[in-house]
Amino acid sequence: MSDSLREILDLQLFWEFRTVLLRGLAVNFYVFAAAAVLALILGLGAALLRNSRFSPLRWLGALHVEVFRNAPDYVMVVWVHFVLPLLIGAVLHSRFEFDPFVSAMIALGFVYSGYFAETFRAGIEAIPAGHLEAARSLGMGEGLILRRIILPQVVRSMLPESINQFISLFKATTIVSLIAVPDLMYQVSMITQQQMRPLPLYTGAAITYFVIVLVAGSSLRVLADRWRAKILA
Amino acid sequence: MNNWHRLVWNQRDALFAGLQVTVEVCFISFAFAVLGGLVLCLVRMYVRPLRPVATVLIEFFRATPILVQLLWVNYAWPELFGWPTTFYQAACTALALQSSGYLAETFRGGIEAIPRGQREAAFSVGMSPLLVFWRIILPQVLLSSAPAIVNQFTVIVKSSTLVSVITVQDLMFQSQKIVNIAYEPIEILTATAAMYIAFIYVVSMAGKLLADRLRRSYGIAVR
Repeated sequence: MSDSLREILDLQLFWEFRTVLLRGLAVNFYVFAAAAVLALILGLGAALLRNSRFSPLRWLGALHVEVFRNAPDYVMVVWVHFVLPLLIGAVLHSRFEFDPFVSAMIALGFVYSGYFAETFRAGIEAIPAGHLEAARSLGMGEGLILRRIILPQVVRSMLPESINQFISLFKATTIVSLIAVPDLMYQVSMITQQQMRPLPLYTGAAITYFVIVLVAGSSLRVLADRWRAKILA
Repeated sequence: MNNWHRLVWNQRDALFAGLQVTVEVCFISFAFAVLGGLVLCLVRMYVRPLRPVATVLIEFFRATPILVQLLWVNYAWPELFGWPTTFYQAACTALALQSSGYLAETFRGGIEAIPRGQREAAFSVGMSPLLVFWRIILPQVLLSSAPAIVNQFTVIVKSSTLVSVITVQDLMFQSQKIVNIAYEPIEILTATAAMYIAFIYVVSMAGKLLADRLRRSYGIAVR
């Protein structure tokens, strides 16, 4: 017990491999950024579909949200990586493959677009109908209304909720190691296989993620609160 | 259609065995998560000397990704504590830890929302602190946080797909085994994804109905 306790406090092995591990962590951030952009775009699209005047489009939006909100991220990552390329290949009549990074981005982007769509929708529905009527009566087009009236208000009201979702998205990026995207967890498993000392490596990884999520989460929340206070004041 | 029959329907025994393991793991972890969350929350709120420990534990469970926790519990804990000894135990422990952190915060919100006067009234009629918690506080907290508790169960189901990584033979494990034997992933992985999505959809709908019904029967407004 005391030996292993010393080992857990002695994270030297983790520190020795810091360059590889940092490169892995950078991959986590790339996957996060790519998936976040995709999730925001798709989420906004689905939210707009759910508010459309044409009912089949509304159902399509609802289907998108229900499917991806209820899909486990790992299952989606595996499906996109192993099944989607085969389906696309069958349509194109040629061999087709995704880079693991692309699969990770698509899968996480789609899963989190389901959550973002609900947040966007709540933000859109909170806008008083009078704003839209006023904008239409001034002759603004739908695109202009979206850009100048709806989005600025939605972004402000959905900020606290979306910070939580960005954080869960970042945490979900760890599972891309399972389809061999060389992120931090992937590097940790590789080094563990060479060194046969899982204790300091996995503990180090857990502490790294803990610190990043805690610091990023609390500072983002403070920043968002300040920004909202400034604008709404 | 032939492929669906061969790869999915003919493998239904393996898939159902996997689904059974998934359900088992989820319910065991959920039970321990509710218990653990309650303990963590009470320690954080009422046991002053241990408060920093509980706070750090809650934040740690909430802030680390589930895959990291799963591998950490699976590889580091046996060396540290000599436990867990099986992959199954490690899987349940990791899932329970993660959710206990979230549930502790849910419970804390529920307890803090109960008006102070109720506790004072209960004490003034001579109820013991334990009785006050059991009869006055806990029922209200469980009712008011019922939707969040149900939601946490669906989070456990989603995270439980990862236990296949440490070779617990759940639904995901069985379907990947079939893929590795047949080398034809399309039908079986699609069916697995559909099963998970349907399962989680049904669980969250049923849970929401149950929670709303309970809350309505006790006179709490349902949004």
